[in-house]
Amino acid sequence: MKRRFLTLHVNAAITISRIASWWVRKLGMGDGAALPGRILLWLRPGAITELSRGLPAVLISGTNAKTTTTALAREALAGSFQVISNDTGANMESGLAYALTRCGGVCSGKALGIFEVDEAYLPLIGRQLETKIVALLNLSRDQLDRVSETRLTSAKWRAYFQANKDVKVVANCDDPLVVYAANGASNILWISAGINFFQDARSCPECGGEIHFTTSDWRCICGFERPLPDIEVFENEVEADGRRIKVDLALPGRCNVSNAAVALGICQVLGVDLASAVRRMSYVSEVAGRYRRLSVDGRTVRMLLSKNPAGWLEVLDIVRDDRSVVVAINAQVADGRDPSWLWDVPFEFLQGKEVVASGERAFDLSVRLHYAGVEHSVIKDPIDAVKSCVSSELSFVGNYTSFQELRKRIDSSQNPRLARLHRLGDRISL
Amino acid sequence: MTEKIKVVSVLPDLLGTYGDSGNAIVASRRLALRGYEPELVTAVLGEAVPADGDFYLIGGGEDGPQAKAAQLLNADAALEAALDRGAALLAVCAGFQILGESFIGPDMNPTTGIGVFACKTHRFDGPRSVGELVTAPTPGIDGVPELTGYENHQGVTELLEGTIPLGMVLVGKGNNCGKRIDGAVSGKAIGTYMHGPVLARNPALCDYFLSLVVGKLEPLEDVRLERAHAKLYEERIKEAYKLR
Ligand SMILES: [Zn+2]
Repeated sequence: MKRRFLTLHVNAAITISRIASWWVRKLGMGDGAALPGRILLWLRPGAITELSRGLPAVLISGTNAKTTTTALAREALAGSFQVISNDTGANMESGLAYALTRCGGVCSGKALGIFEVDEAYLPLIGRQLETKIVALLNLSRDQLDRVSETRLTSAKWRAYFQANKDVKVVANCDDPLVVYAANGASNILWISAGINFFQDARSCPECGGEIHFTTSDWRCICGFERPLPDIEVFENEVEADGRRIKVDLALPGRCNVSNAAVALGICQVLGVDLASAVRRMSYVSEVAGRYRRLSVDGRTVRMLLSKNPAGWLEVLDIVRDDRSVVVAINAQVADGRDPSWLWDVPFEFLQGKEVVASGERAFDLSVRLHYAGVEHSVIKDPIDAVKSCVSSELSFVGNYTSFQELRKRIDSSQNPRLARLHRLGDRISL
Repeated sequence: MTEKIKVVSVLPDLLGTYGDSGNAIVASRRLALRGYEPELVTAVLGEAVPADGDFYLIGGGEDGPQAKAAQLLNADAALEAALDRGAALLAVCAGFQILGESFIGPDMNPTTGIGVFACKTHRFDGPRSVGELVTAPTPGIDGVPELTGYENHQGVTELLEGTIPLGMVLVGKGNNCGKRIDGAVSGKAIGTYMHGPVLARNPALCDYFLSLVVGKLEPLEDVRLERAHAKLYEERIKEAYKLR
């Protein structure tokens, strides 16, 4: 961000960014946080630090499940705190800045910030807030044209914790790259949140040697090994504080039990009753449009978002019983420009289902599906792809921009006024 | 005709960050579809690289794992032995760099490579080379049209006297050594900066690569697969020229 000679009064900057947010949402140009946040930071460069003064902050980061874990933690803690959070998934500086306009620098004693933070921005954002707790979920390959490679990210996190010893860390002890980073901190709560994608974890971040994995443990010959969990995840139970708590979520899939366990770790550090935290988490049924069921042309479409191999392993578990799946792949800047990660996803699991390859990079996906032995059709337009399905219930799996695009088009197809505004918005964003 | 062919994916857990493992999948399947009996061996960290393979595929990865892979491959000479025996090799990005004479290690010092290609890789001071890459294959790579891929690296790879590149760069950076070339060819070894994975983007290059060991191949009869390949290929070439 360039330094400017003149900065606007903070309240004026907030008002302008709020007006921008209203228009961005009306015109369907985005989540209404990222762009207004950029405007705010342009008008008032120090806004993040300024607005967050006196607000203790919990940051949640990792390659996957940031948005969902943040939603679960937000819900769990809302019973005990006045929670301020970036709930649209805008997780870089701009998104944070906009979320902070809600407390406006005058936070009450019960206020708590719960923010999901892009893995590449964690140290930068951590330093600007009054960061008390950082939760680390996982690290695996994602958007390699933008985010640095996983080992570098892990080393940067570690250095941040080494320089900020008062930050408490809640970390997944099953992921070696997360453990390497967390070990930079002195106060750590370990959660056995699991790991499903091992490709980025096999070589030791300490010595470069081979990490040996068993079903529930890992270690390297150099002495780097899995820490014992403080909170342990079982099928649909979590063991914390010496007792077992049943985790009954509205969100599907094993992965979400693990996400809930990380959220419980945060609750434990903050001294919140875990049983009531779990109860509150069960109210979460969708997260920024994910898991929502939409209706398209008489069909019920379950919306799923997956943007990298590790995320896909979770999704393959969730769609196991579905008969029809539409997969839409884009390669915009926000998706990562190179979709070659499709070759790291075991798409063989989709064999026998009705599968439609869609999105701007449908041909990349189609070649991949051929080699995975998955019968499929190719329809680039995601709405047409959904309409082509025989089943009346199906799952739509998109990566970031294809997911947002379909959401927006379904919304505007059901509201002509919205459609006109969105068309105007499309022209502006060109 | 059921000829057993051994396809070896070399250290994909160290060098497989950019989907390059797909090259081994594509190569094996295109052999199987022609009646060969491919055996896909994945030589991961902690396992010896088999010396009796017919095709070796090695991909891109991060600096630390790259240096580790070079150290392992230098220690056991399986790869060189196999190449001497007539095996073929495809090396991408970080894998290509370590198969040269030297590359820059994570400590920023030149590190000894395997020496399959007569080339040296330095670190580029400017911005990372990221984006679509299109090249015209070197004469001698028979029947292969323009190549398309995606590059993402910080290297400057200089070919030494007598080494030929895989292609002349039409869009993108490639070796980024000031000569608008990508990769290297040495006997039956092919090196490139192209991800995608490169054999999925360029089925003709895959078939050329396979022909280095099994001899000339008939066209595939799987019409739907070849049509899918053709659509992807045409789209990628067209899009890359638009970006130029
Ligand atoms: Zn080690």
